[in-house]
Amino acid sequence: MTAHANHSEENKSLRPQEGPKRHIITFIVSIFLTALAFFAVAYMPESPFVIPFIVLIGLIQAGFQLYVWMHLDQKGHEFPTLGIWMGVFFVAAFIIVFIYWLGGY
Amino acid sequence: MSTEVSTNLPPHPEKATLEGKNKVLGFWLFLGGEVILFGSLFATFIALRTAFGSGPASQELFSLPLTAVATFILLTSSLFSVLGIQAMHRNDLSGVLKWFGITVLFGLAFLGLEIYEFFEYVHEGHTMSSGAFGSAFYTLVGFHGAHVLGGVCWITGLLSKLPKKGLNVVTAPKLYVASLYWHFIDLVWVFIFTVVYLMGKVG
Amino acid sequence: MAGHGHVAHSPKRHTGLMDWLTTVDHKKIGILYLVAGGFFFLLGGLEAILIRIQLMYPDSKIFIGATFNELTTMHGTTMIFLAAMPVIFALMNAVVPLQIGARDVAFPFLNSLGFWLFFMGGLLLNTSWFLGGAPDAGWTAYAPLSSAFSGRGVDFYVLGLQIAGIGTWLGGINFLVTIINMRAPGLSFMRLPMFTWTAFITSTLVLFAFPAITVSLVLLMFDRLFGANFFDAAAGGNEVIWEHLFWIFGHPEVYILILPAFGVISEVMPTFSKKRLFGYSAMVFSTVLIGFLGFMVWAHHMFTVGLGPVANAIFGVATMLIAIPTGIKIFNWLFTLWGGHIRFTTAMLYAVGFIPTFVIGGMTGVMLAIPTADYQYHDTYFVIAHFHYVIVGGMVLGLFSGLYYWWPKMFGRMLNETLGKWNFWTFFIGFHLTFFPQHFLGLLGMPRRVFTYQAGVGLESMNFISTIGAFLMGVGFIIFIWNVIVTNSKKKDAPADPWDARTLEWTIASPAPEYNFAQTPLVRGLDALWTEKMAGNKKMTPAEPLGEIHMPSASILPFLMSVGLFIAGYGFIYHMYVLIGVGAVIVVSCMFTRSFKDDPGWHVPIDEVERTEKEARA
Repeated sequence: MTAHANHSEENKSLRPQEGPKRHIITFIVSIFLTALAFFAVAYMPESPFVIPFIVLIGLIQAGFQLYVWMHLDQKGHEFPTLGIWMGVFFVAAFIIVFIYWLGGY
Repeated sequence: MSTEVSTNLPPHPEKATLEGKNKVLGFWLFLGGEVILFGSLFATFIALRTAFGSGPASQELFSLPLTAVATFILLTSSLFSVLGIQAMHRNDLSGVLKWFGITVLFGLAFLGLEIYEFFEYVHEGHTMSSGAFGSAFYTLVGFHGAHVLGGVCWITGLLSKLPKKGLNVVTAPKLYVASLYWHFIDLVWVFIFTVVYLMGKVG
Repeated sequence: MAGHGHVAHSPKRHTGLMDWLTTVDHKKIGILYLVAGGFFFLLGGLEAILIRIQLMYPDSKIFIGATFNELTTMHGTTMIFLAAMPVIFALMNAVVPLQIGARDVAFPFLNSLGFWLFFMGGLLLNTSWFLGGAPDAGWTAYAPLSSAFSGRGVDFYVLGLQIAGIGTWLGGINFLVTIINMRAPGLSFMRLPMFTWTAFITSTLVLFAFPAITVSLVLLMFDRLFGANFFDAAAGGNEVIWEHLFWIFGHPEVYILILPAFGVISEVMPTFSKKRLFGYSAMVFSTVLIGFLGFMVWAHHMFTVGLGPVANAIFGVATMLIAIPTGIKIFNWLFTLWGGHIRFTTAMLYAVGFIPTFVIGGMTGVMLAIPTADYQYHDTYFVIAHFHYVIVGGMVLGLFSGLYYWWPKMFGRMLNETLGKWNFWTFFIGFHLTFFPQHFLGLLGMPRRVFTYQAGVGLESMNFISTIGAFLMGVGFIIFIWNVIVTNSKKKDAPADPWDARTLEWTIASPAPEYNFAQTPLVRGLDALWTEKMAGNKKMTPAEPLGEIHMPSASILPFLMSVGLFIAGYGFIYHMYVLIGVGAVIVVSCMFTRSFKDDPGWHVPIDEVERTEKEARA
């Protein structure tokens, strides 16, 4: 506890120099992708590619949330990465089974 | 005492203590479990999404503009909560209160829209009992809505004590995991608007 | 903790009942889990004996129809969720922090909350016996039997398991964080004792499996209470969803149960063979692999549902794959015994008895993994025999081994070895008498969950033998209880390292002091204590100077929160919204109290640590 109380000067230089720029760019791209998905459905609902397209966009957006906004890309996140991706992997297995053998999709 | 600590906020206050590290890691694992929770609900929804029963079909029911507004609100609130965390890293208490405050307001707006939407749907004959689609819809979207409500109450609770406690190695991990939770809710919503609303519109 | 060091108040220690209700000490919570698990084990065992009494002779009319259904349902549910899980958590709580050189788990408060949620959930479920009948849709509660054709008992099943399940889930997260973040210096993952490794993988499975049962119980609850149509085919629902979600949870659950038993065997065998574990890294790898594959095989419980040849083939092959890592384990245990200086203590007897028993259970498992053959075995006593060989012959023998092994560390007293051997032989012989004939009963076509059978079709003698075996198992368990009572009346004189063992928990006094380690030890190799013994050192090298030790404060909130959910549970079952409201208010106000009032903890002063350590050495 006392350790960092004596090093406030040092701390200032160690403080992450992060600006809002990266997040705002991600946000704009995110909104753009969302709009793209909505337009795809609004104007091409008959296309066989529209569902794979919007699911892909969803996955990209999920990646933004995890790696940019939740900082999964920073070091020290090995176990969180493992936890999330194992969950995603198992869920993918469930959904595949539910689609092919329960008549979903 | 809290003021003494807050003037000496370490660079990554959320992980400066073992308690903080434990809390952040534990919360990530919690989210890993939540992936399975929502994944199971999504799998169920996908299996039942065309079983409309006596209710209206999803193509007639959903309105894209409403979903687009809700999506915009939630995505924006996610941006605000990350700005709140940046303010926390700068040891800027008023910034934290401002950004997380707006996050909560947007969360409330989202909930308002959702309640309005559910109200309309029930009016049109789309209910929990109108068919398996209705059951799956209200359970999945309702679970997400309950998470938003939980997040709103949680963050409000944290903010209400923040002016007194200040930013320190005890409050920082709490704010940090609350923002992780908020992003995760947004992540789930991305799949809800894709799988439930957009795919429901495609049919 | 940091930032609060100098304001920590003097220790506020409760005594008596209040101590047990408020404790956040992992060692005491371990004992609570053991006592509660033992109580539910007794209940589940009693139900089993009643089932066997009904099936002792053909055409008996003692417990028929709905009563028999209640007995089988409650026997399965109680044994899996309320007896097996808590005893596993008892050992994990008692041992894991000590094996990794930690002072407590990562979240002591959550640990206590996890226990009380489990306990209140179990209590809620069992009150159904007195409130209009226990659940009777089988422990698997298949829809639509459970959703549309069962009475109030199933509501108790849903709410009781939901509450207990949340508790177990929190426990899983807690152990994961503890093992990742709180290992002593030098204790890398590839130096972790095997029991801690299995606790780690089991906790991972808990983390990913329990949300699936939460969702399936929610769907069932919505169908039963709020008019949803998930399992109503007439409204477009699909009852197979229940089976999928239940087994997505249910199959990992059996690995949650068996892996810690593997861990116990991997600790006991090296100690009593005086050899290091053969193939440590292969053991670690096979544990991880079993855990992973455990998630990919759930549909082998559903071969006869009609998923079709492709799904059946995929899940059948995936299931057979699990035999490979399990085989690696069996051979590594045998090679650990090979050429060792073997001591047959009770713990070792259980460990050695485990191997052939578990191998039989594993082999019938591979037989069941063949979909075409499974059409014959499905829903017969063959399946009953299989999973009792795995769960009783595997897990329960492993847990008994662990209890005899770690009893001195938990309670400071050695269990009586003579009674222990009586306990082992009666239980072991009784077990094989009960379940070995059931393989053949199944092959002869005796269906499970049916309350009687005809005379003159060749089922009488084997059913009779099976019931005699069940009584013998009961005698074995009573001898164990007797052993515990006898041991408890003796004085606490267990030495710190009674078995000449190899791992960190044996470096500290028996029972472990409140703060576990006066100084965090420095780990210098696999089998930390054995490494020091081989280097000729009397004790561990400390990794820190002696100092005052920070401890978390006791709290009544976990107990109150669990009571709140218990009350709300009745509200849901009886549609009494006032009760739901009362329960919710209790839970939410406890959560806010916890969140707003920071816990500064308290410190054990240096002189007290020194005094305790000196007394322990004397």
